[in-house]
Amino acid sequence: SSNEHKLNFKKSKEACLSYIQDALLQKQWKRAAEFLTCYVESLEKDYSREHIGASEIIWRIGTEILWHHSQSNMKEFNCFMEQMKTLGVKRYLKVCLEHVFHLLCNGQIDEAYQNLSLAESWRFGEQTAIQDKEMKLIQAYRGLLDYCSWSKQKNILLEHGEDGFSDLAVEQEMHGYFRKAAVNLKEIIKIPGVWDVFVRCYVDLLEFYGDHNEARQVLNEYAYNSKFPANPNAHVYLYQFLKRQGESKKSLISALKILHDIVPSHELMIDFNTMLQKSKKRKKRRLGLEVIFAALDYAGWKENAKAWSCLARQVKQIVISEKHLDWIKQEWDSRKDWWPAFHFSRYLAKRNWQENKSLSFEKALVAGILLGKDCKYFKYVSHQGCKAQLKRFRMLKKFVTRHNAVYLRISG
Amino acid sequence: RSPQVQPAFVPHRGATGERWEAADAAAVPVLLPSTGCWIPSPTPQDILYRSSLCRKLWAGKSGATLDFARQLGHFFVDHPEDAFGSLGHLLHKNFYLGNTKLKVTVSRNSTIRMTALLEDIDRLEARRGCPRQHLASRLRWFSHLCRDWLFEVPLGLLADCLHEELTQQWSNLLFDDSFTGGALAWLPPEDVGTPVGRLVHPGGHAMNRLYFQDVVLEELPHTQGSPVQFELSGRIRQVAAARVDGQDFVGVRSDYHCGVWRVPGKTGAAPAPLQVIRTDVPASCLTVSPHLPGELSVCTQSGTIYLWSIETGLQQLRHDPQTMFFRDHSPWRWSDFTAHPRVLSCADRTGLQCLDARAPKRCHFDLFKVGEEAGCQQGERVVLPMYLGRAHPSQYLVTTQFSMYVLDERLPLVPILKWAHMMKAPPLFAHLMPGKPERSHKVLLGASRTQELLLLQYRGGSQSACQLAGTPQKLHNIAGCLQHLPTQLPHRHHLLQQRLSAPAAGLAAMLQEDGPHKSMLIFQLSEAGDVFCQRLIHKAAQPPVPPSRDEATTAPGSSPLFEAPASSPHGLGTAALRYRRWLRALFKTWREPAQHTCPPSLSQRRLFTRRDLEVPAGPSSLQRQMRQRLCQTMQEGGRIQCWEPLALQPPPLPQTLELPGGPDPLSTRLTAAWAGDWEQWWEERTSFSVAQRQQALRERRRRQKRAQGHHSLSASFTSSLTYQSELSELSDVGPSQLSHSCPPLLSQEGSPPAGSPPVRSPPPSPAPDEALLSSQSLRCRGIPKERRKTLRDYLSVWAEGPLEPPEPPGSQASQLCIPSSQSQLSSASQPRRKRPRMGF
Repeated sequence: SSNEHKLNFKKSKEACLSYIQDALLQKQWKRAAEFLTCYVESLEKDYSREHIGASEIIWRIGTEILWHHSQSNMKEFNCFMEQMKTLGVKRYLKVCLEHVFHLLCNGQIDEAYQNLSLAESWRFGEQTAIQDKEMKLIQAYRGLLDYCSWSKQKNILLEHGEDGFSDLAVEQEMHGYFRKAAVNLKEIIKIPGVWDVFVRCYVDLLEFYGDHNEARQVLNEYAYNSKFPANPNAHVYLYQFLKRQGESKKSLISALKILHDIVPSHELMIDFNTMLQKSKKRKKRRLGLEVIFAALDYAGWKENAKAWSCLARQVKQIVISEKHLDWIKQEWDSRKDWWPAFHFSRYLAKRNWQENKSLSFEKALVAGILLGKDCKYFKYVSHQGCKAQLKRFRMLKKFVTRHNAVYLRISG
Repeated sequence: RSPQVQPAFVPHRGATGERWEAADAAAVPVLLPSTGCWIPSPTPQDILYRSSLCRKLWAGKSGATLDFARQLGHFFVDHPEDAFGSLGHLLHKNFYLGNTKLKVTVSRNSTIRMTALLEDIDRLEARRGCPRQHLASRLRWFSHLCRDWLFEVPLGLLADCLHEELTQQWSNLLFDDSFTGGALAWLPPEDVGTPVGRLVHPGGHAMNRLYFQDVVLEELPHTQGSPVQFELSGRIRQVAAARVDGQDFVGVRSDYHCGVWRVPGKTGAAPAPLQVIRTDVPASCLTVSPHLPGELSVCTQSGTIYLWSIETGLQQLRHDPQTMFFRDHSPWRWSDFTAHPRVLSCADRTGLQCLDARAPKRCHFDLFKVGEEAGCQQGERVVLPMYLGRAHPSQYLVTTQFSMYVLDERLPLVPILKWAHMMKAPPLFAHLMPGKPERSHKVLLGASRTQELLLLQYRGGSQSACQLAGTPQKLHNIAGCLQHLPTQLPHRHHLLQQRLSAPAAGLAAMLQEDGPHKSMLIFQLSEAGDVFCQRLIHKAAQPPVPPSRDEATTAPGSSPLFEAPASSPHGLGTAALRYRRWLRALFKTWREPAQHTCPPSLSQRRLFTRRDLEVPAGPSSLQRQMRQRLCQTMQEGGRIQCWEPLALQPPPLPQTLELPGGPDPLSTRLTAAWAGDWEQWWEERTSFSVAQRQQALRERRRRQKRAQGHHSLSASFTSSLTYQSELSELSDVGPSQLSHSCPPLLSQEGSPPAGSPPVRSPPPSPAPDEALLSSQSLRCRGIPKERRKTLRDYLSVWAEGPLEPPEPPGSQASQLCIPSSQSQLSSASQPRRKRPRMGF
């Protein structure tokens, strides 16, 4: 019966697909290509409505095969892509984007640009929300390519400028690129999303033309708009921008404070801590201690000698001045049940000593103050240091023994 | 500011990765098969309804139809004792299984021919799926009659339980998440110098033994020494391991228990069990902290997440039976550690959140959500999350049934890498092999039912964007070695196929580097307890065009494993030898248990021997004896005092209430009356002391009652109401009555005139029945005590006529305590008796 035929047809289609998958995953591109041609044939005879799904499969698998197949070339690839574009109207823009990416990765930037322009002028019926978004993306990528051209021209001009002669035509062209790029880039970064590349390019353009207010506004929007995903990079860009602008310490600190709240383990926390330690305000120094303790909570910072030296320096300062020992106590209270096992075990003492002597020095100082002179980590490292006749380790031992009372106050 | 350099466009995926090639044509067994049989888990064919009509329905959208009736039938056939043990035995006599017509007219009334019923059932079976089917009336009639009482377990209850189990099995077949995480762990050697690692895997018949097996890493890893084993009280679902401070902590999860072992880093040191916790609800996840020694996280299916520390015990972080982001029915929960040792991730099918253990209620953020941000498809669900801390401290892997995502907890919700894995079954196992800086990280994904195994490589995350390196690669699975094995006999081939294609249950891997040679060892565990291993070799130089074997598929039957490689001087490769040994051991285990694994069965012949049950051809000696006695008594004009043949009379019980000296007064009186000098006796009697007379009266009254209530026929002809009341009266008498020896034969009020012949005495049912029913004869035939009474009670109901088996009075009181249905039956009088026997 026809029903059974349909069922069998479906089955063989599925079998064919699984063969293709099998071949793909074993890098048998030739075999996969052969099966794919069969799959395409079967698609032509299929009158069911599922064919929409199948055409997407063909597009994806075909791209993958052509990307890896030893005998494929760019011409064939382009040809395949053109066919795919016509296979499904709804997917047209997506296929275009994918095609552009492929061209870009192969260094064919001009072709990519052409394709983007072509796609931009494409219209089909009423635009859906998704199509609208995809169109924005296409425009944004065109803007990005414009930015690349602008940047190229700029470099030429700068080189020539050094030679002391300017080319008006090149300059004109460059400004043209700027305008085209700026329009498109500005559009995309209005939509909530992660647009790191576009934002950086746009800010670069604005900064070059001295529009710092606009740049600041863009970066502020990107960092603080709650509709956007909490993106630490946005705060990093803002901080870097403020730094370039030579803004006050206060605004830098407030930018980093937010970064600290979002990602306490960010690399910039060392800069932040150094900045805060230098501050004259007590509150800021207090924050600095908090920041460095929080950073060292993370597994990725475990062996960061720089961070440990920051902490050691600040702790040492506090101990010597004998003021604000309660700061250390407060920080330590929430950590004393797990930091000893996490940072100051005997195993780690051994390993740190073997791998990084200065790290073990800083850590031993912190351990000696926080856990007393009988702590395993301190004992092992100071013992090894004294045995190796290293002067600073002897000093360390003396220091810790002298301030052993601090430990009692902290832990009490 | 330096001029911006021309940006280079790199593909998100498809960049060149490392090239790894399989060293052998198939995975090779590491362990010898465990002794004892392995029972394969059910397949869809076992529990689905197979009929053309239903297959069509199934192909549509109505979903699978479970073959409930067949399973119930299986239960009845496989466990007849549990299904209808007692009644089956009781009714045994009344079912006739032969083909011929019933011969003896007597048994015809109390026996039905089962053949006819069976034929009806067969006919019904043949018409299954026919829309115009109708039940044969006989069957309907039969089932209507016995539905309520035939089954040991009430049928409704049994059906409910079975149906529940069946749906559970079916959902497990569709997707069984209890093995999430995998039950195989590899503990790598502490220092690179010693090539001895440890494999932790479950084994045994019920997969409830935990083995720690030393494995020497050579060209093909092989076991060293015998494993350290622990017997656990449940099937091992997951084995998780992490190395902290040079020690391995191994967490083991079964449904209701989780345990943790510590394995010291030194080779040869014995693993030590540390702690066990028991959960009321099955646990669904157990992960070991990579940061702190002796810390684990446990999730249960009730939606509770605990941080479990060996020192401080359990800390509940969250209890929420609802899913996090949208409603999903699955009770599965997962939890893992993050870059911060105090922050745990918790997951359900809808996404992941991170919780701070110090303030779990307040501090949490969403890490992954099935939804728009990650570009998820409709119906996509989280299958397995995993912390990728060894590759990058803030990276996370999330797999769904469609895709795999790499997330960075610093930029939550937006995946930094996404790839559609195209696996046929959702990946339940994952394993990370971190690459050194400048090299790619390798992730293995494994599915359970289809045994799929994929190797992915990715790089980046800190300095550069995260990208997939190279194309994902399919690795050998256990079932794939079947085509390379030597040809087997068909039934063995079938068994082997079944064994090798058992769902995978775990995955472990390691990178091995000695000098320029880099290789990767991948272990795969199957539900049958087999551990197979394969080695991948790193190819440093990438030839532009991969030659030959890549494209050529190995034809089934041709087995490169078993061909003597030209390079090897020893003839057969080690892989082939390994297979030989494994196959030999496997076939040995199959042969052995065949003798003593037939299911235990209870033979009914032990209860009734054939001789007992066959209808005697002629009158037995007992019958003859009885008849003879009857004739004799009639000729003499006497009465039969006791029907029991002397030999079968119960042993005399101690007679405490008997009057001291002489026979009992009734006997003497009756003897006197029979002799004709009753008056004289009366004279004698009147001169008795008052006390004696009173005593005699009381005695008489009691006997009279008993005779009415139990022995006298007349009682059964009176209304059932009075009978009932007398019964209750009797029960009031209490145990004092138990001591009576010989039942009196005549009651005073209910007895017919003395001269009338004893019409009611001989029962119409065949005499052996009588003999059969006496407790002694029953005992003689080996019928257990507890069944004797039931049997008697039952047959006393069915017997036509006054079949009150003579029995020791000792059982009277106990008869009153039998279940209500029984006492109702015995109290039922005439109208009941007239009915045909239960309509047979």
